[in-house]
Amino acid sequence: MTTSLPIDHELHPAGAQYVGAKINRVEDPRFLRGEGRFVDDISLPGMLHAAFLRSPVAHANITSIDTSRAAALPGVTAVFTGQDLEAEGIQPIVSRAFLPGMGDNLREPLPTKKVRYVGEAVAVVVADSRYIAEDACELIEVEYERLPAVIDPEGALDPGAALLHEDLPANLIGRKSESHGDPERAFAEADHVFSHRFVHGRVAGVPIECRGVIAEYDRGRGGFLIYSSTQIPHLTRSVAAECFGLAESDLQVIAPDVGGGFGIKAHPYIEEVVIPFAARRIGRPVKWIEDRYEHLASAVHAKELVMDLELAVAADGTFLGMRGRYNANAGAYGCFPQTGMVDAMCAATLLPSLYKVDHVSYEILAVYTNKCMTGTYRGVGWGAGHTAREVLIDDAARALGRDPLELRLQNCIPSEPYRSVVGMNYDGGSYQESMEQARDALDYDALRERQAKLREEGRYIGVGFSPFVEPAGFGSKAAAAVGQKHQVTYDWGSVTLEGDGTVTVRMGFHSHGQGHETTFAQVAADQLGVRMEDVRIKYGDTEGVPYSTGTFASRSGVIGSGLIMRAGGDVRDKLLRLAAHLMEVSPADIELAGGKAFVRGAPDTARTIKEVAQYAYFGPGSRQLEGDMALTSTRSYDPPESYSNGTIAVVVEVDPETGKVTIERTVAIEDCGVMLNPTIVEGQVAGAVAQGIGGALYEEFVYDDDGNFLSGTLLDYLLASSMEVGPIEVHHIETPSPVTDGGIKGMGEAGTLAAPAAVLNAVADALSPFGVTFTSTPITASLIRDAVAAKREGEQ
Amino acid sequence: MRTVSLTVNGNPVDEEVEPRMLLSDFLRHELGLTGTHVGCEQGVCGACTVLVDGETVRSCLTLACQADGTAIQTVEGLAPDGGLNVLQRAFQENHGLQCGFCTPGFLMAATALLERNDDPSEEEIRDELSGNICRCTGYTGIVRSVQAAALQLRDGTVTASEGTAE
Repeated sequence: MTTSLPIDHELHPAGAQYVGAKINRVEDPRFLRGEGRFVDDISLPGMLHAAFLRSPVAHANITSIDTSRAAALPGVTAVFTGQDLEAEGIQPIVSRAFLPGMGDNLREPLPTKKVRYVGEAVAVVVADSRYIAEDACELIEVEYERLPAVIDPEGALDPGAALLHEDLPANLIGRKSESHGDPERAFAEADHVFSHRFVHGRVAGVPIECRGVIAEYDRGRGGFLIYSSTQIPHLTRSVAAECFGLAESDLQVIAPDVGGGFGIKAHPYIEEVVIPFAARRIGRPVKWIEDRYEHLASAVHAKELVMDLELAVAADGTFLGMRGRYNANAGAYGCFPQTGMVDAMCAATLLPSLYKVDHVSYEILAVYTNKCMTGTYRGVGWGAGHTAREVLIDDAARALGRDPLELRLQNCIPSEPYRSVVGMNYDGGSYQESMEQARDALDYDALRERQAKLREEGRYIGVGFSPFVEPAGFGSKAAAAVGQKHQVTYDWGSVTLEGDGTVTVRMGFHSHGQGHETTFAQVAADQLGVRMEDVRIKYGDTEGVPYSTGTFASRSGVIGSGLIMRAGGDVRDKLLRLAAHLMEVSPADIELAGGKAFVRGAPDTARTIKEVAQYAYFGPGSRQLEGDMALTSTRSYDPPESYSNGTIAVVVEVDPETGKVTIERTVAIEDCGVMLNPTIVEGQVAGAVAQGIGGALYEEFVYDDDGNFLSGTLLDYLLASSMEVGPIEVHHIETPSPVTDGGIKGMGEAGTLAAPAAVLNAVADALSPFGVTFTSTPITASLIRDAVAAKREGEQ
Repeated sequence: MRTVSLTVNGNPVDEEVEPRMLLSDFLRHELGLTGTHVGCEQGVCGACTVLVDGETVRSCLTLACQADGTAIQTVEGLAPDGGLNVLQRAFQENHGLQCGFCTPGFLMAATALLERNDDPSEEEIRDELSGNICRCTGYTGIVRSVQAAALQLRDGTVTASEGTAE
């Protein structure tokens, strides 16, 4: 069963006043005035500008690169290729193997021998302006010896397939099988077996700010200052330091304001090595700002999976077993730190989701192909696997003549903590209740009546349900639960009471939309009894804040809050002793609230926390106190597994003639335990749902059979606008986690994880009179139209 | 080089520019007005939206020399006193932004909308803002922000340009 820990009430003091409140974000004014400071807003004295030449071919040996014409262009300072980096001993970025039979993947910052996907950087030009640097890229002459492109993941392991990495025996990244219970027997005894092959489209986070790097080399000290638009400044520093053979603290990595991440910026990239290299060689700061083509072609993609799923069902609708095979089309390179296995592993380990099913087996594999490497995108493979499973369950419900929600409720786990058959330790939630609340919010029976009535008029509306569990608060135990025992997360943070009575929190969790400057100030203010406006949250600068694995996988809220409660608790104890000493009472009699310390029940005794802090820093009497009185504490926190849950329901109208889908209504029931700030929870849900809708209906990176990249603009890779997304209603259930500090659960990804299944199920429900079902994403208008037409033709 | 003369947020500007310089680069890197953001340079995302003679324009698809003789307004000109105007305040109060990168473009597009129509329906707001992409909010907070600002403007208690000191 679960590793159950009681909520430590010392860590979550009574009388909390900020946590749980709808508080406007304190970071907003600078962005609203255009005073945010993103990488491209930063300019260093003497700075030059870089542009990359990128491969136009999917797979080729580089036979020669002639940079002479580019280097001779007026305004060009230098041109570098992989040979230049190799000559100076710059080491490749290593994605380490963690399964038997898996090999390390080494990626040269710039390739010396071959290119493996369209968009791969081949050379870099540094010039007086970006305009000139791009001109010069066109003057670089590269001779390629074309090789066959490996595009189809199912053919990537064929003996005749071209080999991407000559140091590996095959295009296999990794493979793993697991079986729990007795699935063979469950399937043999089942009354019904439903199965499908589901192909999830290749998508990515696509933040509105592309990536960017500025680097400056300090020749005297032998170190770098690197600005990067990244979610993970510390991991970036770790990787770049290794490539340069420097000590970690020889590099200062600053992630300033970052315009969205969604996982795409949660990986170290080759540009974070190449641009510093160029700055060191030239002796001047160098800036590179990724353009949209570069971003779409060469920042990580995600979630392209071929999934074969089977569901064994008893005559009464009970789910008996599930089997899955997940093949990830993981692209050309491993992707530090998770590798290309991330999507397949996450999809497989969440196969049973919130269903009570005792017999589960899966096989996962990931293969190298001549496409952009894959990494993380909000919801990762959890979402792709979820879509495949939930669509199959709707197909099963239709075949069995069962209501899809009722069938799910029948098979749902109880709301108490539950260990899934694959070994995930759910910490309890509202698995059934969230489905019921979604049903009630929709006025389900009335909706079905309206659906029947509209069908008579030739209009097709449909409803889709997608109940979910979202693995969150990603620490090393959660990583192990999805099969990534190698990924040890490491996060610490500090809380300091300054001499003026203000509180400074320093943590490595970067905030790029999550609102950490608000939520973490709420937590710190409650813990120390100070006013929220007296708290400052510092992040993003490796010189200024302690180490953190970074912001991704819905981990910051849980781990960051825990760090603040733990370190803040230490500071609080000292603050109480100081106040007691100053006021000549016992620490046990002191209460801290509203920026004041006072004797419990006697508010007129109050001294401000500022007075106490000044006493600590500058009052000689405070030196009479024994013990370490530093008003600061640094703590780590590696939480147990915790899981948010909820249900997303979508109502659509579909035009069977054009395939156009109109989203009429989206209802999201979210249970993320104790909410720090419901406003921010609702914003995260709505944003994640919108990305899920986009992935369901519009978004896909397309390659042709030769590996040519066909999605190089935002006119090809379509992002949903305010017209497509429609209104999103968020409802809350609050089931505190019994295992995390403060009962908090992470919640950033569920919308993206679960909304696509709701959309696909709603469209299939709308088109059920035609018998249309789906086995891929995105379900574009043309795909829907063709599917309806094919069914109609079949009937004739 | 070409000479361009224009006003930006009411301030006269006379500069020499390369004919190929984009208006977005001119504003950001020549004038230091980095509040206007560049998201795609493909004319799709709308992050670079500014007002040229009151009309929304994608500054990434406009050459600086095309702006000669115009009056440009950028996000920096919305509340010149360092505070927030009605619309900006509404965005804060209605969680109309998360990472803040697309926000200046949305503010300029919404400013143009509210200048023309101080009582837009939700459908009209969604339609008018559909040339701007936000990847964080799901648009819910943005639509609510514009509705809240419109309501305040109709009340007549504030004007669109009125700044509120923080």
